Amino acid sequence: MVQILQALASLKLTLLGMVLLGIGAALSYGNPEHVSVWVLVAPLALLAINLAAAIITNPRINRQPGLLVFHVGLLGMVLLAGIGRLTHLDAHLEIAQGQAFSPELLMDVREGPWHAGALDKVAFTQGRFTVDYAPELRRGLTHSQVFMPQPDGSVLEVDVGDDRPLVLERYRFYTTHNKGFAPVLTWIPADGEAVSGRVHMPSYPLFEYKQDNHWTPPGTEEDIKFWLQLDTGMTLEDSWVLDGRNSRGVLVVTSGDQRVELKPGEETRLPHGRLRFDYLTTWMGYRVFYDPTIQWLFFVSVAGVFGLGQFFWKKLSLTAWTDDDSETANKRGSV
Amino acid sequence: MNIVAEQPWLWAGLLAYLVATLVAMWGLSPRLAGSESVQSRRHERVVLGAIALGVLLLTIAIAVRWVRIGHGPWLNLFELLMSQLWSLGLIYALLYWRLPGLRPSAAIVMLVMWILGSWVLLLEPADSHFPATYYNFWKWFHVGLGKIFLALMLAGVGLGGVMILRRTERGRQWFRAMPTDAAIDKLAWRLMMLALVFDSLMLITGAVWAQDAWGRYWAWDALETSAFFTWLLLAVGLHVRLSFKVPPWLSGVIIISIFALAFVTYFGTPYISPSAHKGMV
Repeated sequence: MVQILQALASLKLTLLGMVLLGIGAALSYGNPEHVSVWVLVAPLALLAINLAAAIITNPRINRQPGLLVFHVGLLGMVLLAGIGRLTHLDAHLEIAQGQAFSPELLMDVREGPWHAGALDKVAFTQGRFTVDYAPELRRGLTHSQVFMPQPDGSVLEVDVGDDRPLVLERYRFYTTHNKGFAPVLTWIPADGEAVSGRVHMPSYPLFEYKQDNHWTPPGTEEDIKFWLQLDTGMTLEDSWVLDGRNSRGVLVVTSGDQRVELKPGEETRLPHGRLRFDYLTTWMGYRVFYDPTIQWLFFVSVAGVFGLGQFFWKKLSLTAWTDDDSETANKRGSV
Repeated sequence: MNIVAEQPWLWAGLLAYLVATLVAMWGLSPRLAGSESVQSRRHERVVLGAIALGVLLLTIAIAVRWVRIGHGPWLNLFELLMSQLWSLGLIYALLYWRLPGLRPSAAIVMLVMWILGSWVLLLEPADSHFPATYYNFWKWFHVGLGKIFLALMLAGVGLGGVMILRRTERGRQWFRAMPTDAAIDKLAWRLMMLALVFDSLMLITGAVWAQDAWGRYWAWDALETSAFFTWLLLAVGLHVRLSFKVPPWLSGVIIISIFALAFVTYFGTPYISPSAHKGMV
């Protein structure tokens, strides 16, 4: 058993594991979908076994507290990163001003098989937002207003944006460059109940030149095309603030041969009913991130590096830095 | 060509580095081995003084630019090179002062610094836009730790270069005043150990910044992949040294290879890929 452990603890195996990890990292560049996660998991598993064996059998590691902390920290990081992948959730969210968050709004959801976060307990309502732009449309600070219900019945207003995510139930909501306008429409069918909703136009100002979308009323095959003509005050030459309150829009509605321009509050009659453009609002795109291990990863990695630092400090302070001890200096393993 | 306010200070700083480079090289000359100046190591004080003066002048250059454009040297290549010339000079000056054994290798180190020095002279000092994600305070730790890492690597490159050049008769003449190859090798790897600590801390703080700024701590983008390779190669280098008897010249090759990868990570990768550090989307 000891011989097997010593063989598994070999430094040459460590080097092999590192080379394989390097290959895995090269293959993982850019997170290509066709590359299996095993290109990283396999060398990490090999290194973890090698490291665990070394911690048990190698007195150079297990009798030096700093080095031991570093190597245990490395093992802990591999373990935590693995747990993180199994329990994570990554998603995107588009939410309009005045809209309450609901898990059904999440898009492009990627989650680990053990993900069990309390997403249904996340509650907030999106407010308005502003984005500062420097000349030449260079994006500055984002301020997104979010309202969170409190246990005492009050509502807490929070300003989030950029590197200040909204953190609820360990889910982290980050504002993104993806945000834009949404005409709020009411569809009054020829027979039936009126329904209201929003049509999210493409991200603004990234797709300033193509603010269009389309919608098919329920129970019909009518394809209604929308084109939003915006006046936001956008300028390339000067600084500018994207703010829904300072923006106006005219909605061009096209259905078949019929084309009509609507201002907020106006409506038009279409083959299967009437369409009213109630008002113009905005939507904000968030990146949603959940990984319960990130704080632990931070503490374990920092503890590991401080262990390494302590080991080196002790080692380096024992001898003069530029001693000329030729007998020992170039021996294997001497530093 | 428009000359902006920080450029004269930058040029003056580079001139001071040039003096340090020339004096360091002059001190290696076998013909001057018997001269009183070299024997008493007075020229080393001139080298140290010139580097310190260069750092001071570059500090002024950075401060002038900071005031002019409203933010620090974080973004474009001109700013990164200027900032690295400053931090590499500062940290190397401290090492040069505290570790007399590595002083003759300054001739190599300063020549490497001139890759940055001549590069920055070719660039337009264009103003940069400060992205929202750069307000995060973890950036300070990430950048600061990265600067210490690169400076330790640079000092290691000087020693690695000495071990390689000493394979020739001329190299042995030039670096006659340095300790044995074995002692240099030991010192070089001690610097590499410290570099590993600071590289690790740089990656950790960078991951925290990335989590805050871009909503993920690691995504295998070009910069992260390249930085990981650098860390891994450094770890491989240390383990190779633990596993095999590595001759000094090969130690030098390994150290210079790690530095080359770090150099590409710092000055190449962020500008050939739209990775997170650009942060301007």
